[in-house]
Amino acid sequence: MKVVPSRSSEWVRPVTSQRPASTIIEIDRVSQVFQTSARKDHVALSDISLTIEEGAFVSILGPSGCGKSTLLYIVGGFVSPTSGAATMKGQAITGPGPDRGPVFQEFALFPWKTVLGNVMYGPRQQGVRAIEAEAQSRTLIEMVGLKGYENFYPKELSGGMKQRVALARTLAYHPEVLLMDEPFGALDAHTRTRLQNDLLNIWERDRKTVLFVTHSVDEAVFLSDKVVMMSKSPGRIRQVIDIDLPRPRRRNELLLDPRYQKYVVDIERMFDEVDETGSPS
Amino acid sequence: MISPAAFARRAAPVFACIGLLAVWQIAALILKNDSFPTAIEAIRTIPDILGDKEALINILASLRRMAIGFGVALLVSIPLGLLMGRSRAVAAFFNPLLMIIYPVPKAALMPIIMLWLGVGDVTKILVIFLGVSLPVIYHSFEGAKAVEEKMLWSGAAMGLSSLQRLVRIVLPAALPEILTGCRTGLVLALITMITSEMIARQSGAGNILFNALDMGQYDTVYAMIIVIGAMGIGLDAIFERVRAMLVRWSEPQFDMPLSFS
Ligand SMILES: Nc1ncnc2c1ncn2[C@@H]1O[C@H](COP(=O)(O)OP(=O)(O)O)[C@@H](O)[C@H]1O
Ligand SMILES: [Mg+2]
Repeated sequence: MKVVPSRSSEWVRPVTSQRPASTIIEIDRVSQVFQTSARKDHVALSDISLTIEEGAFVSILGPSGCGKSTLLYIVGGFVSPTSGAATMKGQAITGPGPDRGPVFQEFALFPWKTVLGNVMYGPRQQGVRAIEAEAQSRTLIEMVGLKGYENFYPKELSGGMKQRVALARTLAYHPEVLLMDEPFGALDAHTRTRLQNDLLNIWERDRKTVLFVTHSVDEAVFLSDKVVMMSKSPGRIRQVIDIDLPRPRRRNELLLDPRYQKYVVDIERMFDEVDETGSPS
Repeated sequence: MISPAAFARRAAPVFACIGLLAVWQIAALILKNDSFPTAIEAIRTIPDILGDKEALINILASLRRMAIGFGVALLVSIPLGLLMGRSRAVAAFFNPLLMIIYPVPKAALMPIIMLWLGVGDVTKILVIFLGVSLPVIYHSFEGAKAVEEKMLWSGAAMGLSSLQRLVRIVLPAALPEILTGCRTGLVLALITMITSEMIARQSGAGNILFNALDMGQYDTVYAMIIVIGAMGIGLDAIFERVRAMLVRWSEPQFDMPLSFS
């Protein structure tokens, strides 16, 4: 079966909205139970089912402790669920793989590697030749706004810069899905806004599938096509909200847009409810 | 130009040494005891020792044993400590063993080892090996345990196998801690080296020291103490240089004092 025209240079990728939405990740009745120190079971996730479409920017929003990270780790294959299963393109997820690239709140850079060394790490591991890996990595470093910092060590960078490196490092091995766990959570408000803008610019270029964990309502609305609202004790999906706002999105336009404001207000109200009452049993 | 503060910092150890020697000199002059030579007498003896071919061969033999014991200990202890830090099963197996060995002065094992292996190099190297191993295992273990899990996950997502993660993530990430252990290990190597030569008197720097004591050559005794001390300070300084170079990337740490045990 050969659908792609042989002369690929003439192949124009259709715009996302016209492309038939195909499922890339399927989370099927996933539950996660942790044994607490008091030997009591703690249900972190209860019966979560969710499908994520290819090329979609999906945010998981919810109060702290509702299992957002755990859900992301399950998709990443870093943690296996107590019951249920997650699949990627129909294949059961049994462990981490380069098709799913994580970006953590803690950056988790390799401190003994320079910025360039960090970004090159993935491609080199995938067997890309050093010269090519370096060229690609330099382009990526420039794209995340760190040109000139190639030979800096992580300890010499600010939090925002570290997270830019972490993003470039993950983008460098071309994962099909980006898994971002409160990536901007540790940053100050100004840096956070700048990184949101830059992430959106980068994302709008190649529209990778993104699963983005956050507990900030405006961050979720600003970035996402879809917001998955979770509640805690036990962690459940409360509602899935489609964010029907035009792209490319520009912050200054969006903040004045009544539709954006309504999403934020509605979701914030929902968040308050969820935070107060927890999950209905 | 070097700033006054930096100069003071660098010159401080020199002044401390001169001060110590001055106190020694004065004390020896006041006490006028045959078994307590003055600092100047002891220092004058040093060229005699270092000029003596046999003494030099002895000291070099000591250093050779120390290097082998230290090197083999690192080769065994670093991988063991890292494995213990990353695998509960390995830690559960080795921890009790190490707990038993830990408080035993390694020199106290020498009589037994000598019965098995004689008074030659192997015995001494084994004792040095034992002395160096424990701090290196301990620090490698702690370093490996502290490696951020997300760093390992990032590596796993890139496709690194668990062995690759151990060698290419855990090892470098734990390196600052490992080298702290190695520095302690180096000092212990010197101590166990001398101790082993005191017990199995045959050759080496420790042997020169104790032969001189037996023969009442107190100038030589004190001179040897200075020589051995200088060796320790020199080796430690070299090691510190290497350490600083290897972990340039690391967060700045406070310089820790030498830990003698
Ligand atoms: N490894 C673990 N062992 C025990 N409990 C855990 C573990 N990981 C998470 N939990 C618990 O599961 C719940 C969900 O955690 P998490 O997924 O980190 O939530 P969130 O990211 O939404 O803040 C929390 O109550 C947390 O304490
Ligand atoms: Mg979390």
